[in-house]
Amino acid sequence: MARHAFTLNGQPREVEAPDDMPLLWVLRDLVGLTGAKYGCGEGVCGSCTVLVDGAAVPSCQLSVTEVRGSAVTTIEGLSADGSHPLQRAWMAEDVPQCGYCQAGQIMGAAGLLAAKPQPTDADIDAAMAGHVCRCGTYVRIRAAIHRAAQEARA
Amino acid sequence: MSSDSNEPAEGLHNDAIHSDPTRDVSRRTVLKGAAGFQLAAVFGPFDGILGFVTAHPDGTLVDAAPDAIVQAGGSRISQWLTIAPDGTVTITAHKGDLGQGIRTTVAMIIAEELDADWEHVKVVQAPADNAFGNQGVAGSGSTSSMFNSITMGLRTVGAAARTMFVEAAAARWGIPAARCRTEKSTVIADDGRRLTYGELAADAAKRTPPAANAVQLKNAANFTLIGRPTAHVDNADVATGRAQFALDPVRPGTRYAVVSKSPFIGGRVRAVDDAAARAVPGVIDVVNVGNGVAVVGEHTWAALKGRAALRITWDDRGNAGLTSDGIMAAKAAALPDAPPIDIPGARVVASTLDLPFLAHATMEPMTCMAEVVGDRVTVWVGTQSPQSARQGAAQAAGVPEGNVTVNCMLMGGGFGRRGGNEWVREAVTLSKRLGAPVKLLYPRDEDMRTDNFRPASHHRLRGAVDASGRIVAWQHHLASGGSGNGPNQNLANQARPSYNIASPDLQAVGVGDPLSVGAWRSVSHSQINPANEVLMDMLAHAASQDPLAFRLANLTNNRLRGVLELAAEKAGWGTALPPRVGRGIAACAAWNSYVAQVVELEVAVDGRIKVRRVVAAVDCGQVINPLGVKAQIEGASVDGLSTALGAAITVDGGRVQERTFAEYVWFRMADTPPIEVHILTGKSSSAGGMGELGYPAMPAAVINAVFAATGVRVTRLPIQPADVALAGAPTPVSTAVSTAVPTAVSTAVPTAVPPTAPPPTTVPPRPTDGPGTSSSKVFLPWGGTGRP
Ligand code: FES
Ligand code: FES
Repeated sequence: MARHAFTLNGQPREVEAPDDMPLLWVLRDLVGLTGAKYGCGEGVCGSCTVLVDGAAVPSCQLSVTEVRGSAVTTIEGLSADGSHPLQRAWMAEDVPQCGYCQAGQIMGAAGLLAAKPQPTDADIDAAMAGHVCRCGTYVRIRAAIHRAAQEARA
Repeated sequence: MSSDSNEPAEGLHNDAIHSDPTRDVSRRTVLKGAAGFQLAAVFGPFDGILGFVTAHPDGTLVDAAPDAIVQAGGSRISQWLTIAPDGTVTITAHKGDLGQGIRTTVAMIIAEELDADWEHVKVVQAPADNAFGNQGVAGSGSTSSMFNSITMGLRTVGAAARTMFVEAAAARWGIPAARCRTEKSTVIADDGRRLTYGELAADAAKRTPPAANAVQLKNAANFTLIGRPTAHVDNADVATGRAQFALDPVRPGTRYAVVSKSPFIGGRVRAVDDAAARAVPGVIDVVNVGNGVAVVGEHTWAALKGRAALRITWDDRGNAGLTSDGIMAAKAAALPDAPPIDIPGARVVASTLDLPFLAHATMEPMTCMAEVVGDRVTVWVGTQSPQSARQGAAQAAGVPEGNVTVNCMLMGGGFGRRGGNEWVREAVTLSKRLGAPVKLLYPRDEDMRTDNFRPASHHRLRGAVDASGRIVAWQHHLASGGSGNGPNQNLANQARPSYNIASPDLQAVGVGDPLSVGAWRSVSHSQINPANEVLMDMLAHAASQDPLAFRLANLTNNRLRGVLELAAEKAGWGTALPPRVGRGIAACAAWNSYVAQVVELEVAVDGRIKVRRVVAAVDCGQVINPLGVKAQIEGASVDGLSTALGAAITVDGGRVQERTFAEYVWFRMADTPPIEVHILTGKSSSAGGMGELGYPAMPAAVINAVFAATGVRVTRLPIQPADVALAGAPTPVSTAVSTAVPTAVSTAVPTAVPPTAPPPTTVPPRPTDGPGTSSSKVFLPWGGTGRP
């Protein structure tokens, strides 16, 4: 057990946790931020995706030690009121079915747009390859990413 | 025509999705139960406050409905409807949402007949409560039952309430009710006077509701909400991370549990050495639950590490020799011999089709949160059967059902998986034992191996056409699990094709599966329809006819004809395609709905398949929400592609081989083609089921497209590259999910390869789910974070 300091959704945060505890469980069980979801715990589904220093990563694959000093952004921190272009696009395209994968999908898309504000379909394929949507909402996710990118351009 | 609206099995449901994304769809429920204690049905709010919504220590949530609305001066019109003084209409959804959009559908149907202002409608979720009747979601039956029933359905709920508002206004004005009309939550007199539902709520609530057969329902031509593309009411909560699934509510003192279940089919725990597990810092308890062991920790990570440290000796119950090949061979062997078709001058076709076990693999694995305090039990669970969850919880705690509150949470997918209550009983047992709230999680591998799988089936398909192309013989003999042993006339009856076939020879044999099997999206249609649509395709080719024209020539149902023609037209059926690219068409008629799907795909010389396009046409009668209808077809189409080209559950050494999405290969973004859905309306005024409809034609459309592209008639799913590779071409090696390469899967076909990674022969401690310890192949497409 040790104390780990990092920035969480813009605020300094310190948690006491085992060194090897994945960020996912730190967020969910210790901090009480449950937007990031468990889908596999092995980095193969993307449900747990958050931004670490701007890059989309599966939070189940990153230990709390490794995010020391980093800036972590979760779905709860993407915008204060659902006004982030991706969140608005997700609603406008009526993307969610069950919704379980979608926080991870949105954070994956946020990582993509941070790196490539105007992604091509191939960029989307590559960036979103780590995500499974068991409800099969991919067509709408793609449309929503394009919509958010377009809005940013306008 | 097969129409199985009374099919008892559980599967997904129908329906719809949507809402105005900009409006506040805050919804948190705290209902008072009959016994007077808090029923907290929690759905996250969208209230502009950053952060997570936390329950108060007593289990209530901050601003909830409908009792809170009443306490704040609002009025309860019925168990479905509560009206706040500001006119906000709160609708209580009694059926759970697992992605089929039923919360939106329930609200749309009631709001339509109520003439509620949709911009000010909120939806809260009912706990398990017999007052709502059947709360189960299964068999694509929710929307049909809620919309079509005139006196028992939800239209009556809305219309009866509307009548009460009109009567209240008329009384206030001293005029006959006939001089009033309603619009956007307002009663308007013919002289222009207006009163809002908010202003009238207290009066309306005091009126005696009209008899169900006395209320006037709208003519469909006057619908303003039903039929309008309407976004899902939970979108804002989902997009902000506030949507509440079973493990999301925060309760003080919560313990976290995971299970380790037998890797052997039907296996039991023989002995447990839990010393190492108990030594893991943060592990609180280890509990034998019969077919497995639960580890409880201060957080999920401790529990997972404890699970990895367990040394369990399993009793394989004599199943260690089971293989899926053996299971399938037993099915083929169980079919009674049938002499070959012998009709002079006829062209005879014959093939077989083997369909594998399928896991539901819901995105949210099985989870349940439970809190036992004295003789009171509160459960948070996503369930397709709230009543079953309540019974299970009551039994596990040894209390009457009346002492149990089941908060019905959003479900992270269902597809038939969430009808059971094993995880509910386990969570309650653990909470009682520990004297604390317990969040129970089935880790992905446990969820996958403990599933109730779609049964595997073997189909013998034969048929013949005469010289004029007329179908003169149709044989569909199948052996499937899940329905006992021996001849199964019910299943044989379900195998009746949707086309006009004179005296089809239909036989079905049940062969009990050693695996636990159950309902999977579309249930037996998922097996029967692909087989029928493949046989139809074979007969078309035998008759030297176009598969579409052949279908149209052999049917009389206009709705079936309509979807086939529309899908074909939109897909450019009959236009030229490049070499090794083919189109396949297939249809499905069930749940009083119709769909036809055209799949266009390309088969590489090495056998890899890239799907280029899916075009669907659907006729579900009265459409409640077009966005929801399309979503269901899009999603089920992805299911069809995934299970035709990637995913299957296999058995070797008595164990299910697939652990997670690395081996149970589902379609991802790059695999998924554009999917167009066209809706055909006007042929029926009743609402058909939609939640399962999009699946049963898809596997056949894929098989038929592969035939069009290559001339190879596939006989098993999922399709293996070697089955369809050009003779002599090297076939791709297994590429399932590979290493930390940013583009690992991005351009690949959905890896139509057999599952990989056979497990070790002895049962080792399983890898802990987490950094650096997973032995499974880790897929990390994100740049810069390559983790082992
Ligand atoms: S839970 Fe982290 S990738 Fe699946
Ligand atoms: S919306 Fe259900 S898993 Fe993606």
